[in-house]
Amino acid sequence: MYQILTKQFIRSRSTVIVTLLILTLGIVSVLMGEQFLNKQQRAIDEAAHYQQEHIQQNAQWHADDLGLLLYYLRFTFINSFDPLTALSVGQRDVNSSIQRITIRGLEGQKYDTDLHNPTNLQVGNLDLGFVIIYLFPLLIIAFTYDLLSEEKEGGTWRLVSSQANSPLLYLGYKLSVRVGLVYAVWFLLWVFALLKLPLSLDTNALVFIGLSGLYLAFWLALCAWVVSWQRSSSFNALSLLSVWVVLAVLLPASLNSLLANLYPVPEALSTMVEQRDGYHEKWDVEKEVTMNGFFAEYPQYQKYPLPEEEFSWLWYYAMVHLGDAESRQSSEAMREKIRQREQASRIAAWLIPPLHIQLQFNDLAQSSLDNYLSFLDGTEEFHEKMRLYFYPKIFEEASVGKENWESFTPEYFAEAPEVNWGLALAPLLLFTVGLFLFAILNARKLKAFE
Amino acid sequence: MLNETSQLIARQFWSSTFRSGVMYPILSLWLLMVAYAAYSGWESYTTHNHIRSHYQQTARESWENNPDKHPHRMAHYGSFAFRLKHPLSMFDFGLESFTGNALFLEAHKQNSVNFSEASFSTGLLRFGEISLAMLLQVILPLIIFFLGFSAVAAEREHETLRMILSQGVSWREVLVGKSLGLTALALLFFLPVVLVTFLLLLFSEGDILATTDGWLRFLGIIISYALFLVITSAITVLISAASKTSKAALVKLLAVWLFLVILLPRTTQALGGYVYPAPSRVEFDASTEEELIQIGDSHNPDDPHFNALKDSLLSVHQVSSVDQLPFNYSGFVMREGERISAEIYNRHLRALHHTYQQQNRFTQLTALINPYVAIKTVSMVLSGTDFTSYRDFQHQAETYRYQLAQTMNELQMELISNRAPAPGEAPYVISRTYWSEFPDFAYEFAPLSTVIRGGGWSWAVLIIWGVVSVRLLSYWAKRVKAV
Repeated sequence: MYQILTKQFIRSRSTVIVTLLILTLGIVSVLMGEQFLNKQQRAIDEAAHYQQEHIQQNAQWHADDLGLLLYYLRFTFINSFDPLTALSVGQRDVNSSIQRITIRGLEGQKYDTDLHNPTNLQVGNLDLGFVIIYLFPLLIIAFTYDLLSEEKEGGTWRLVSSQANSPLLYLGYKLSVRVGLVYAVWFLLWVFALLKLPLSLDTNALVFIGLSGLYLAFWLALCAWVVSWQRSSSFNALSLLSVWVVLAVLLPASLNSLLANLYPVPEALSTMVEQRDGYHEKWDVEKEVTMNGFFAEYPQYQKYPLPEEEFSWLWYYAMVHLGDAESRQSSEAMREKIRQREQASRIAAWLIPPLHIQLQFNDLAQSSLDNYLSFLDGTEEFHEKMRLYFYPKIFEEASVGKENWESFTPEYFAEAPEVNWGLALAPLLLFTVGLFLFAILNARKLKAFE
Repeated sequence: MLNETSQLIARQFWSSTFRSGVMYPILSLWLLMVAYAAYSGWESYTTHNHIRSHYQQTARESWENNPDKHPHRMAHYGSFAFRLKHPLSMFDFGLESFTGNALFLEAHKQNSVNFSEASFSTGLLRFGEISLAMLLQVILPLIIFFLGFSAVAAEREHETLRMILSQGVSWREVLVGKSLGLTALALLFFLPVVLVTFLLLLFSEGDILATTDGWLRFLGIIISYALFLVITSAITVLISAASKTSKAALVKLLAVWLFLVILLPRTTQALGGYVYPAPSRVEFDASTEEELIQIGDSHNPDDPHFNALKDSLLSVHQVSSVDQLPFNYSGFVMREGERISAEIYNRHLRALHHTYQQQNRFTQLTALINPYVAIKTVSMVLSGTDFTSYRDFQHQAETYRYQLAQTMNELQMELISNRAPAPGEAPYVISRTYWSEFPDFAYEFAPLSTVIRGGGWSWAVLIIWGVVSVRLLSYWAKRVKAV
């Protein structure tokens, strides 16, 4: 019986076409992910190589003025990536993973974006996450929507139910053949991804895989439930596709515009303006005022007397630092707004499985907005570290030649994502089990002769 | 083509759809979505434009409030360009959320356009955005499929088709009539969108309905979408007629929708990025700087180009050192440096944009088999939210930045002494009246005539699709069978 059902299903032309389509797209998506990783790696290598060249060049040009040299020098700080990023690119393509910053004002530098083709961003990435979140549900819908109705509409149901011991068991067999094929495709794609990408099977990867498997179970349960209503094929196809459109397109998109309108971010612009004004107006106020502000924050530099000349680097770096300090409030307000958005979408995601999975994938792949915000914090620390390292040397007019410039290689930021198994799995598990129970309850009312 | 019988069939299709009871729930849901999309568009447009013009003004006030200063200080003080949204972005967001909005303009340096909506997004944006245009492009076709999938197939299943045909009605009349009826239903859904867009434009501050350009855009949108709906309706009826059962018709239509709207654009765009890789910012900066060093870098004290320039200046003016020149020498050097670096940067930027266009070409080509891509492009162009319009903003901002830097350099050449101030002497400054003399950045939307070329191909394709789908109805009429 099992064999016949399997053969019958696999021989159908539409099954073959749909399966091959998903397999192909899955493979393409892994290759795209690989290309994304390569591109990131290339940019990092380029940045490392370029940094050395850039430092040597400028150290030669400005060999007698350390303050001027550090006006120009840019140091690279990199948000290291997990190979899982290839499977869920998330915000990594929008927000730059490489910062190249001078020790001057940070607020004017740290939000600089990478270059990208906006059309690519709008259309979106073809990563494995997309294939799992969007396309697998469609595969499941295509396999199951007429599980029962095709028998009724084709006139074979009467025959089946009189011959099979239990019609419910027969449907169970039929369903399990389809479940088997869905998970076989899913498994093959994971094998391919594991072979093709430098992934290691650590906790993050396992949670990623587990979540994707559970997400498929959610859609299977949903389809089983709709099938258990025993309506026509057309009705099932339409309702399942409508559910898909609502869950995967309409709700997330509506939520997106809602959040964008609820939490606009004017602070982004005020930060820019305040940073400029805060620094530049220092040129026109008494130097003493600036120096007092600077020494209040860094009393350790009070020992350096302000040189007599009109211009000195001590004064200059104090001015740019105060520009940062004065725009910090706006900058923090901006962060707060972004956090509110983040929080609101996480709460809403509990009720919208595709959204939940997307956010979880991005967390695991370190490609979430949250990861980027932490990277910005890291950048701030890196910036301060570099400043505090060079400040005394500049103020003491140390010699450029004495510094070991070759030791300034790019530095990396790494943040291990906090995996919360329970929170990640709970909503999906709840939905899946609930829907399956409903489906079985409905199916038990199934009568053989209708 | 539209004889009485077709019209009768169309009317009959229209009224039977209404009688079936599905229209009212769908129409109500649709109106709800339209209302929400209109609200989002309005809110986003007014909020952002308010914020942006507010800060544009704030930044300008602090520019003008600067005291007497050295002009080069002002070149570094710089200015901002905050991108204003086109009023029609309320209808179609287009690329708006993915392009930067704020640009700091200063001497020597072309900054990146920062703070796109996408950079603040939690990942939600990946699921798309609800706009009036999106509803028309993505959701309305689904509704048309739903209303029309059984248009012919159900008549065939119930064997009423044979009856109709045996009464002397031609196949062509049936197909044209059904398509006409379905198009009419589609237009009924389109009507509230047209009305609400008109109201949004009427009450928005942009006031584009006072200009011919605005009206042309609005009319262009109406005509293009109407054409798109005709095409979608005709395809629906064709597929319905070519299917044995309505179930088969529905499944085919849904598959077509998924393939054309979700799968194909993403795949071709990914392919474009794969075939034509674009440089990252690091690579871009490195190659620009490399060329700058080759041609002439004013920050290099021993640059050959600038040394040669100095020698020729000295000999032309017959002086022995630069402080004897009749103008400020460092102003002159910076003017030359700015000219060279801007020229190199612009050339590299053009090359980058060319790469982007190549990446997009795959998707553009598929417009031939995908009317969704054609309407999407046309709609963005008409709404001023396509890439050409964005580039125009970038171009205007860069032109302004260049003028600002060069004006300050020229003021320095003219008004600042060539001799360095003695120790204890106050630094050289010029009057603050020069600041307010230099105009503020004022972004002007590119007129339709300059951006329309960006959508030329898609326009042509859309019209071809219109003609072909109507012709197909007649062609099909000779081939399909009644049973």
